[in-house]
Amino acid sequence: MNKEEILSKVKIAFVSVLEHDNFELTDETTASDVDGWESITHMIIIAEVEKSFSIKFKLMDLMNMNNIGDLINTIQSEM
Amino acid sequence: MIFINRLYKSITKHADFNAFCINDNFYTYTELARQVSKIRSVIINSIGDSEKLIGLVTNDDIETYAAIIALWLEGKAYVPVNPIAPIERNVQVFELTKIKYVIDSSEDSLYKEFKVIASKELPDVQIDLKPKEFDEEQFAYILFTSGTTGVPKGVPITFSNLNGLVTAIDSDSEFNLLSSDRCLQMFELTFDFSLVTYVLPLLSGSCIYTIPKDAIKYFYIFKLINKHKLTVLTMVPSIINYLKPYFSEIHAPEVRYCSFGGGALYSDIVSEWSNCIPNCQIFNYYGPTEYTVYSGYYAYQNSFAEKDYNGIISIGKPLTNVQYIVVDEKNIEVPCGVTGELCLGGAQLTPGYWMNQERNNQSFFEIDDMRYYKTGDLCFKDEEGDFMYVGRVDFQVKVRGYRVELAEIEFHAKSKSQKKANIVAVDIVNTLGNTELGLVIESEKFDTKEIFRYLKTKVPNYMIPTQVKFVKEFPHNINGKVDRKELRKLFSITN
Repeated sequence: MNKEEILSKVKIAFVSVLEHDNFELTDETTASDVDGWESITHMIIIAEVEKSFSIKFKLMDLMNMNNIGDLINTIQSEM
Repeated sequence: MIFINRLYKSITKHADFNAFCINDNFYTYTELARQVSKIRSVIINSIGDSEKLIGLVTNDDIETYAAIIALWLEGKAYVPVNPIAPIERNVQVFELTKIKYVIDSSEDSLYKEFKVIASKELPDVQIDLKPKEFDEEQFAYILFTSGTTGVPKGVPITFSNLNGLVTAIDSDSEFNLLSSDRCLQMFELTFDFSLVTYVLPLLSGSCIYTIPKDAIKYFYIFKLINKHKLTVLTMVPSIINYLKPYFSEIHAPEVRYCSFGGGALYSDIVSEWSNCIPNCQIFNYYGPTEYTVYSGYYAYQNSFAEKDYNGIISIGKPLTNVQYIVVDEKNIEVPCGVTGELCLGGAQLTPGYWMNQERNNQSFFEIDDMRYYKTGDLCFKDEEGDFMYVGRVDFQVKVRGYRVELAEIEFHAKSKSQKKANIVAVDIVNTLGNTELGLVIESEKFDTKEIFRYLKTKVPNYMIPTQVKFVKEFPHNINGKVDRKELRKLFSITN
């Protein structure tokens, strides 16, 4: 799976949790750029991403995740 | 002035120790003293003596903490507003307290209609931390919590109240901070729990680790525990609910104390959490904003020797000089084992709500010259003198440690609903065991975008419901009241 494919699957997870698609996801996107992406929804988004890629993140990875680029890299390393 | 003098002495004594770690930058007590002195000098030179309440924008930086100490040294109170809360609500708080001056470390202040002291751009001055002489009954801070009528409720706390808190914690032999301690400060400064996570470490020369505003709190806390080997954690229970799926990856033998507060603490999760922090004493603290943060605690031993009621860990015994009584609806004390409303009396009790006589008449009463505050919490006392938490008397709930009046959300939601439908807010527990808010509307389905857009300008983020349901007709209980229990069942939590 290439980076674009991962990104589009990640976007689907975001849209299903946040119930809107009023945002762009790039490597530099952080929680403050996306409406509704905060503590509670973050946990649900993470669970949704884990489900759709059939992976399980480590706390160590989640802790260092600062933007979408980090998320994509972690998904790639877990797959 | 016990605690201000101790603060002054501690900052001076621990000059070379680290006071803060903010965004991975360390600041020594000397650097803190330098910042305090700069802000204090502006306060002395530009704010008149009669101006006692000063607005404070609570950014996550050294200047904001320094501003609090600078105000205290001058016998003034801070009235904090959170920069990520709606500006309308923040301005309302300043208007309610007739604030003229606002200390703001933001690059570009949004509070131009007030006299802004830009605390980031001040010239260096000689360090001067000697407290001024002033009356202990002056306010040290006023915090605003959710109010039922859409107007936030102000709780003023005096220097004498803070003295009461510090004295009570001091006389407690089970909790002693050291200058070598590294302490977590995860709270917004608009939340009263923050007082114990910055004042107590500063009094002991410990280092305080804060959390950036845009961080996902529970992950950042783990990061701090892991990277900086924190020794003292003070948290709301929802944090460990979030971290629960990852407990097997957490091993923090350096943690000495872990204090919980700001919500019901469940025994099953604490027992699992205690395995992550094997050398730690866990405390379950209790106390409302009106009683200066803490009024008492329960020291958790282990899962075999622990007291709980309906799975909620006991709130234990009152601190030194704190009076607990449990009363019935007529404010008459009930015997041990009987559930009633918990009331608190003593040195840490607020003089009363800010400009709200009606509320004061409802919430405070006297028995034998002792003034008591009705907490709204239902409790009973067991034979050993430990208090058990049973539930709330009213429609107040706690979301991420914050007190939320469901009526306030309903008030704002209704005021913007063009359909004039009945709207009820309910608290729901998600799969992680954390409280979220749901909105139930008695109507055919309609677009709620406008309601939510409006809510976001009126109330802080934690008060915005995460789910909406429509029903044809509200269910009612036998008393003719809307049956909230029944409405809660409408929400199936998806995860």
